[in-house]
Amino acid sequence: MTLFELVIRSMRKNTKHYYLYYFALIFSTSLYFIFATLQNDSSVITASIGNIQFSSMFNAAGILVLVIVVVFMIYANSIFLNRRSKEIGLYQLVGLTHSTVARLLITENALLGMGALLIGVGGGALVSRLFVLILMKLIGIENPVTLSFSGTAALQTIIVFSVIIGLTLVQMLFKVYHTTLLDLFTANRQGDHPKQPKTVLSALMGLVGIVLIAFGYILSAHTLGPNLFLQLATILGSTILGTYLLFRVTIGWLFFRIRKGKGGQLGLKNSLSLAPIMHRMKGNANSLTLITILSAMTLTMVAISYSLYYSAESESRGMLPYDFIFENNEQDAKSFRAELDKAGFTFVNRPVEAIRLQGAIGQNEEGSNLLLLGAEQLQANGRDIVVPGQGEAVWYTGLRKALSKELDTVAFPQAVDFDANGVQVKLNITREVDRYAMNYSIYGRQLIVPTATIRAIREQMPASPEYEAIHIDTYKIADKNEREAASGIYAKVVKGNKLSPDFDTFYKASLRKFGLIIFIAGFLGLIFLISTGSILYFKQMTEAEQERKSFTILRQLGFGEREIMGGIIRKQMFVFAIPLGIGLMHSMFAVKAASKLALSDLTFPTAISMSVYTLIYFVFAILTLVYYRRIVRAAL
Amino acid sequence: MNQNTMQKTVLHAQQVRKSFGVRGNVQQVLRGIDLRVVEGEFVGIMGPSGSGKSTLLNVLATIDKATEGKIFVGDMDISNMKNAELSDFRRKKLGFIFQDYNLLDTLTVKENILLPISLGKMKKAAAEAEFQAIAADLGIGEIAHKYPHEISGGQRQRTSAARALIHRPSIVYADEPTGALDSKAASALLGMIEELNRQRNITIMMVTHDPVASSYCSRVVFLKDGMLYSEVYRGSKTRQAFFKDILNVQAVLGGDHVDSV
Repeated sequence: MTLFELVIRSMRKNTKHYYLYYFALIFSTSLYFIFATLQNDSSVITASIGNIQFSSMFNAAGILVLVIVVVFMIYANSIFLNRRSKEIGLYQLVGLTHSTVARLLITENALLGMGALLIGVGGGALVSRLFVLILMKLIGIENPVTLSFSGTAALQTIIVFSVIIGLTLVQMLFKVYHTTLLDLFTANRQGDHPKQPKTVLSALMGLVGIVLIAFGYILSAHTLGPNLFLQLATILGSTILGTYLLFRVTIGWLFFRIRKGKGGQLGLKNSLSLAPIMHRMKGNANSLTLITILSAMTLTMVAISYSLYYSAESESRGMLPYDFIFENNEQDAKSFRAELDKAGFTFVNRPVEAIRLQGAIGQNEEGSNLLLLGAEQLQANGRDIVVPGQGEAVWYTGLRKALSKELDTVAFPQAVDFDANGVQVKLNITREVDRYAMNYSIYGRQLIVPTATIRAIREQMPASPEYEAIHIDTYKIADKNEREAASGIYAKVVKGNKLSPDFDTFYKASLRKFGLIIFIAGFLGLIFLISTGSILYFKQMTEAEQERKSFTILRQLGFGEREIMGGIIRKQMFVFAIPLGIGLMHSMFAVKAASKLALSDLTFPTAISMSVYTLIYFVFAILTLVYYRRIVRAAL
Repeated sequence: MNQNTMQKTVLHAQQVRKSFGVRGNVQQVLRGIDLRVVEGEFVGIMGPSGSGKSTLLNVLATIDKATEGKIFVGDMDISNMKNAELSDFRRKKLGFIFQDYNLLDTLTVKENILLPISLGKMKKAAAEAEFQAIAADLGIGEIAHKYPHEISGGQRQRTSAARALIHRPSIVYADEPTGALDSKAASALLGMIEELNRQRNITIMMVTHDPVASSYCSRVVFLKDGMLYSEVYRGSKTRQAFFKDILNVQAVLGGDHVDSV
């Protein structure tokens, strides 16, 4: 048999085993290629979106893909090399030299890697149109965009992935040249034996792990201070270290307590779950930490992106309660109204009387512009606005909780004094609301007062420079589908005045922005998910092989396939659910911290994205169970 | 023989045959074996390599299925049982001691021993008492919380024996239990098994190729080419005398063994 025949044979055998690895590799190559294409060929996208930033977004996404692919490939490759240790040793035992074995492995891996690379680029080119369609759908652009095959992108992909494949080759060389034959033959039997943990020390360390995670959580719940970067780094560091300790010490310690409590009567299920997990806890702490952190990152990224996309409309509404407004411009308002009538649109047009004047909220503050709005008039538009009592006001800050630092110093109720032409008006601000009462584009801090107060002020205060009576015409279009056309009319009427954004334009722009983000985050998340899932699968595959002997023993002792599978299911539950559970918890706190920057409630979209993630994740758990079943079946 | 018929039959094999291979290339390994084991017997099975010892043990132990013939354990016919039933039966009625111990590395000595009764309905306290008794008999109480890799071969095999006995099986099968032990550990183990056999009236069937090991038995059955060749009873003989008997049979058996393989 020539060397080449040997290569072909072992390749055939390996693809059968590692199909998931090649799938992940091909998928990430494709995605990297598509990102590269979109980045290089952004003319099409830029034309439709009109923002040059997107090219750099795709660039960043491509780099993230590379990072995860490097981690994934090096990791998977080391698992495979360990699995094949015996084979490598056998080659050397029958007299192949180091260099021949190295040549064999390199040829094999290079062929497979290049194959995956070509399929990835080819497949990417084929499905890139589909991806563009998805992207267009997400960002709400109807007209079809064609995407031509980008040579630059293909070249970039090939170079970058060749380098990564080169890295795995170096890894293989290292294995062949720097491992003794004996090590090669015993590699599969490695696995530490559980020692009785030094109770006090490990209980303490385990506690430290939990404390570190809790500290990270608590810190994340606090308003981001001036040392934003330091704070973020502390949160990340403390959580990651805590997670590692959790896997390395806490869980082991907990399992040890449980096991000790059983007094030797472990039962079959625990013998197949608790015992082997404890057996490998030391070796698995690194990978489980990696998987947990990756899961947490992915979940956070996907959940936040999806939340942004999902709440684009409600966020826009929070900024712009009215579709269109005209400030002290009845002429334009009238012509706009006439145009709308002409187009036959149904709309609601209401005037709102307001006053802008100088005043200070809080003691330490300089005077600033305050906008008093009549509550009853706002309410008349069917909005959820409570009319304050006589002499009272409600402050619609429009500021997200996290950003309204100054509010911390303002206690409610809070008195405000206006002083104009010797006339004094006192208002009592009873509370704040984190929305806008009037479109954010209008100048001044928005205070809602009873309309009677507005009238009274107008009567009491004669015209003065510090005081300005304002008439606002608000428009709301009843039918969503007519908004776009109305937006066009509005643009014509205000002659492209940038200072008066309308709801539709604002909403569409944010939809585009967040659509692009969810597009990138979604596919990145998928790659991360497939990588972490695959790593877990490979690890379990190896463990299953190592446990084969135990299954044989158990079946000889008379334990049925079903009973053994029951124990294995419990083990897989632990192995998959623990990192996922902790990852979910991490990301929930991260999303919670981030949700302070948003006006709308993110619970629902976060729940959706986390459920989808969990569902796909458990597909890998099922795959490992299928693999285990095959081994248990063949064990006797 | 008279004495045996009065006692309860634990294992009864009738015309057991086993062949391997597909049509055209069938190899008969067991060619019609009749064997009866009564309660409290310690039966040794000897024979040259390829005589079918291990196959016989596997078939009688329900790990493998006979091609033909009937096997009764107690009054149960195990030759027609389905796989799931067999597993159940194995777990409840049979005990096993293997040459390479077959202990689970991830479990302590105690956990290994208590494994066979883990699916049963036995109360915790009862299981604990059972464990203490068997551990005392086999002298492994001290190492109950150690892992298999921390103890000696002899201790491992005693652990394996304890696991085979904990659920009070109808019969214990031992496959070369001393094969991996040094002579001192081997004789210590066999002494203990003999003692248990006498005290607890446990029925044991042991496959071995070591005449010293089989001299601890109460009866030794010789196999040759898949058939029963001969058998010797110890009766009231000393172990040394019985050992000589065994050697004599083996000498005859071994003479043409060279040709037969």
